[in-house]
Amino acid sequence: MNPRPLRAIPMSRRRMLGLIGAGSVALAGTAACGGSVGGDTGGEGSGDPSGEAGGGPIKVGLVIPQAGIYTPLGVDMQNAWELWLEQNDGMLGGYTVETVIADEGEGPDTGVPAIQGVLQNDQVDVLVGIVNSATALGAADAVTEAQKVLVISNAGAAAITGEASSPYIWRSSFVNAQVVVPMAEYLAGNDIGPVYVMSADYAAGQEVVAGFISAFEAAGGTVAGQVLTPFMTTQDFQPFLSGIQSSGAAATFVFYAGGEAVSFVQQYAEFGLKDTIPLYGSGFLTEGGVLNGQQDAALGVQTSLHYSTEIDNEANAAFVEAYQAAYDALPTCYAVQTWDAANVLNRALAEAADLSGDAISEALGGLGEIEDSPRGPWSFNGQTPEQNFYLREVVEGDSGLINSVVEELGTYAQP
Amino acid sequence: MLSWFDTNLVSILNGFAIGSLLFILAVGLSIVFGMMDVLNLAHGALYLVGAYFGYQFAGDTSSWLGFGTALGTAALVGVLAGGVLSSMTEPLARRPHLDQALLTLGVALVVAELLAIFYGNDVLRVRPPPGLNGSMQVFGNTYPTYRLALIGIGVLIAVAVFVVVERTTVGALVRASVADREMVATLGVDNRLVKLAVLGVGSGLAALAGVLGGPIYGAGPGLDERVLILALVVVVIGGLGSIKGAFVGALLIGQVESLGRALVPDLASFVLFGALALVLIVRPRGLFGAPKAAV
Repeated sequence: MNPRPLRAIPMSRRRMLGLIGAGSVALAGTAACGGSVGGDTGGEGSGDPSGEAGGGPIKVGLVIPQAGIYTPLGVDMQNAWELWLEQNDGMLGGYTVETVIADEGEGPDTGVPAIQGVLQNDQVDVLVGIVNSATALGAADAVTEAQKVLVISNAGAAAITGEASSPYIWRSSFVNAQVVVPMAEYLAGNDIGPVYVMSADYAAGQEVVAGFISAFEAAGGTVAGQVLTPFMTTQDFQPFLSGIQSSGAAATFVFYAGGEAVSFVQQYAEFGLKDTIPLYGSGFLTEGGVLNGQQDAALGVQTSLHYSTEIDNEANAAFVEAYQAAYDALPTCYAVQTWDAANVLNRALAEAADLSGDAISEALGGLGEIEDSPRGPWSFNGQTPEQNFYLREVVEGDSGLINSVVEELGTYAQP
Repeated sequence: MLSWFDTNLVSILNGFAIGSLLFILAVGLSIVFGMMDVLNLAHGALYLVGAYFGYQFAGDTSSWLGFGTALGTAALVGVLAGGVLSSMTEPLARRPHLDQALLTLGVALVVAELLAIFYGNDVLRVRPPPGLNGSMQVFGNTYPTYRLALIGIGVLIAVAVFVVVERTTVGALVRASVADREMVATLGVDNRLVKLAVLGVGSGLAALAGVLGGPIYGAGPGLDERVLILALVVVVIGGLGSIKGAFVGALLIGQVESLGRALVPDLASFVLFGALALVLIVRPRGLFGAPKAAV
């Protein structure tokens, strides 16, 4: 037996997975009608809304991950979208919404064809969603060429609304570095001492680390050391935890999400670091389902994010209550971002002269402050939110762990 | 030297813990592939099944009953699943490895997807039993107690497997089947039964590894692929069908994944496959691979 075929097997498996992924996208495309929600295309007769602009139907492509590691985010996004429509009679700005759901999968190899599919086959008027930044960047040209508005409700790469920006691409979520700059300034301002910086080694992680370090050092902080861990292949963080201990750091700042966030936080506590070197992070470290996996290990971890279920305002209280009643789960920032995407589209469509990308884009640009968001007031600045950030700490709530709000860190735009 | 040792003690210790887990996982794969010539890509999925059993019975509270139940159920289900896999691959016995790979990969994908549908897509936690769920001081370093226990369990299982394969009649039969299946068949032993038994035990060990690895790696989608790749690397490094090889390979990869990453964190992605490449250059058949003709 020659060992070489063996080495070929993980490769062929991966290729296999790719093929299957592509197949499921094709399936999702053909079954798009089946995946519609509120597919009341008729529109006429069903209680004509504000009357002025439009009426009639609008087709929205909701592009979210339905398979792969980002699936939990996709579920939150779809939940929020459907909750919004349910509370607003299935209407956006006076148009009756038909939602076409497409599966973006894990990466651009499945995501970009999914977006092209809803643009060409389903002829959607507006696109919402997208978790993966590479997918968002990969589809930017297709969206711009089709002259359709895309409201990104997660992907946080700076380039999307930076050097690769398009007049048709808006974002209702965050920019990777924007989330951690407030934390960097907070830590430096409190003379925390030398900080060890750690992240998963991929585009978002690199943006976060660069953003954190430059803001932290500019505010007078010192970096004790930094390391990027292999993305998606690190199950055991112990080798890197040793590095933190020997660096003499007074605190650790990390960026992890999903399964890696669970393993990291858990092992950080197991190896006794949590008690000696406090852990800080980008908000995704303790956001949503990962808290169930981290359990007590997450207690006391502090993060910065633009949302927490514990933000004290009326819109948030109503949103959390409705979301919990509908889905028996606490909403996440991914849900809020999609909720707000619906909110801004609702406002813009009511103002826009017609359903063309140019008209909707122009209306989005003139929106001003969105004062009724669960995350607190925010506004578009360079087609991405300028918003308040919160310092959050994981504490024991009435029914499980929550991210309590320690203090507001101020309003930040894309750095 | 002493201070170097002191700094890296936790990493070295951890390498043994990971190595123990890898051995329990990989020994089954090595025997099944090396001895029975069945390329079982569903091995990772069996690990995942075990991990979810761990979550099912020992996810909420830390208890010996829960953890024990998880271990027992996983071993039983693993053995049964091995039997099913054995009968499924039987018709493909004379076909190339790729056909077996496709079949077992298909099974793995279906199983992983079913688990994801049932348990959701979040990473779930498995709690170590009471007494092992804390941390303890090892030469002034904090180290999770469970990982220390895992080293012991790995050694126990290694000794058990070694004794069975090397010192018993059943083991002799298995070794004879590896050396020359046709000859064993002419002696009146049904090859398929040997394969059934070996695949059953190998799969049972994989599921067991899933429960044992639960407190470290948790249970979640994608874990099956990651452990499968690690197990394949261990098997290739150790040499196919060799218990000793799987043991040494697992300890080596354990250290590479732990100490190697700690020493050169910037090359963390490469140390695993770097070690694999190095071994393949020096010993193309693995460290303990039998120099037999290609099948």
